[in-house]
Amino acid sequence: MAKSPATPMVTVKDFSISFGKKKIIDRLSFEVNRGEVFGFLGSNGSGKTTTIRSLLGIYGADSGQLLIDGKTFSVDSDIKLGYLPEERGLYKKESVIDTMVYFGQLKGMAKADAKQWSLDYLKKVDLGDKATTRLDKLSGGQQQKIQVGITVMNDPELLILDEPTKGFDPVNRRLLMDIIDEHRRGGATVIFVTHQMEEVEKLCDRIILLKNGKAEAYGTIKDVKNKFGGASLDDIFVKIYDNKDEVNHA
Amino acid sequence: MHNLDTVFKFEIIRTLKKKTFWIMALSFPVIIGFIFVVVFFSNQATNEAAKSVGDQKFTVEVTDKSDHISPNILKSLKAKEIKDKHQGIADVKTGKIDAYFYYPPDIKQQNVEVYANDVGLFDNSRYQSTAEQMLTASAASKAGVEFTAILQGQVNFSSTTYKDGAEYNGFKQLIAPGLFLVLFYILIIMFGNQMLTSTTEEKENRVIEMILTTIKPRTLIIGKILSLLVLALIQIIITLIPVVIAFIFLRENIGLPELDLSNIPLDPARIAIGAVLFVFSFLLFTGLLVAIGAATPTAKEAGGFFGVVMVLIFGPLYAVTLFVSSPEAMLVKILSFFPLTAPIPLLLRNSIGNLDPAEAVLGIAILAVSAILALGIAIRMFRFGALEYSKRISLKSLFPSKKS
Repeated sequence: MAKSPATPMVTVKDFSISFGKKKIIDRLSFEVNRGEVFGFLGSNGSGKTTTIRSLLGIYGADSGQLLIDGKTFSVDSDIKLGYLPEERGLYKKESVIDTMVYFGQLKGMAKADAKQWSLDYLKKVDLGDKATTRLDKLSGGQQQKIQVGITVMNDPELLILDEPTKGFDPVNRRLLMDIIDEHRRGGATVIFVTHQMEEVEKLCDRIILLKNGKAEAYGTIKDVKNKFGGASLDDIFVKIYDNKDEVNHA
Repeated sequence: MHNLDTVFKFEIIRTLKKKTFWIMALSFPVIIGFIFVVVFFSNQATNEAAKSVGDQKFTVEVTDKSDHISPNILKSLKAKEIKDKHQGIADVKTGKIDAYFYYPPDIKQQNVEVYANDVGLFDNSRYQSTAEQMLTASAASKAGVEFTAILQGQVNFSSTTYKDGAEYNGFKQLIAPGLFLVLFYILIIMFGNQMLTSTTEEKENRVIEMILTTIKPRTLIIGKILSLLVLALIQIIITLIPVVIAFIFLRENIGLPELDLSNIPLDPARIAIGAVLFVFSFLLFTGLLVAIGAATPTAKEAGGFFGVVMVLIFGPLYAVTLFVSSPEAMLVKILSFFPLTAPIPLLLRNSIGNLDPAEAVLGIAILAVSAILALGIAIRMFRFGALEYSKRISLKSLFPSKKS
């Protein structure tokens, strides 16, 4: 699946961005290797979503480089991207199948393929009888399943999930975790934006911890734990965001 | 343009699937059809009533102090002449006769008086009609039929005017270029609100981020505009069907004038100018409405701006007589070349033929630049404003000092 094995899937180098006078990200640098699950951690307002939006070209950076597969991302890129944004929604007055097929086509799938994939997926997630139902007639949990389906329907090489479990019930959380795992095993690179440490420990190969637009920690989970004296990720998170002075930079 | 056809088809199909579109689309022709039916039956009833009134006989007495009523006319209508006005009125009251007409000595200064028994609101008119016919027929018998026709204005005229040595009919000339004005009016009235809210849906439904990673904002906006154009054409066709049917099959019954399309003059220059003005006017207001939609957090809030835009577009219609009679007036120039009011004055003046070539070029240039600017702002508003889910954005925020 990887097109240029030597190039990291994502490269962020000296990235800075401000909104008005407020500096959101200050010279941030990190890389995401191909095929890994990368945890992008930080408290609310630490700049995680801004970094992802900048990486995807939704925001423009003040300075620095944000590359996917060695190139600045654009909708014309040949990279297959699956993005589940933090702020998510669907065309509520359209039917499930029409919405899924539309997004499938926007992601480059043929209409027939998008329809077949969608019908198969709906059966898989117990929504086989809801294909022609309007989205606003579905429960919140059912809509979440549709959103996850739309995110992965083009078999993405890079899966970016921004707070993916936010608002998910346990059943959908499990479904999402299974899907992430399935794609990782298929060779996809996954960026997992969250502050749920339990999920991070279970899924991620490497992580970055962001605070006030700067990286507080970056590396494998083991490296980060060692750096903070072997504490659990939960403890490290609390220490960093509650009282930085208590953190033991071992 | 990557994915343009996907957006275009999606927008068309989902709108055509909406009940509200068809309610809107069909209500207009249904109302027009209903009006035609009412006019048709009303005309038919009126004709039948007039015919039955003409056929009806009634007894009548006449007192003629004017000496204008011909004895032959009285005889032909079997009217009895009496001398005493009071007796005539009394005969009506007692039911001896149906009607009594009193022609005073000076019919120019005094009223002809008609007294009759009531036969219903509409049928009562037959008495006055008969009294009038009696007078007209008597006058015609004295003056001659042609002289009477002249006095009654029943003479037909035909006029031929020339411009630059060629036959020129101002009213016929405005039909072809005027169609662009009508089309612009219909499009804005029917689809203005849809343009305004076309992008608020993505914003309100929080679907914008997923969209922006699959398609360029420009492609989405253009796809939406093209779909609106096609939907507008569908709407116009649906609206025209009953009009065409009524014209072909019921023209005489509903009193529509005869229209010989082969006689309509086609001035290529004015038609071309009208077409270009229409395109840029449409793009200008589409861009403006889409920009407002993208800048406001909800469709409801966007709707508040709609009235302002409508006033700017259609306000100049209040000065329509000025555009016709005084094209050199300062107000006409201002309204013609201020971008937000320009479409109606320019299209109207082009139709009536008082927009000279230099003004046409200047107007087109102003509209073209404004349209491109409005569309550019709309796309930028959509790109940067769409993520501001809960607040209105300003023009200033589109051009930050550092960010892209």
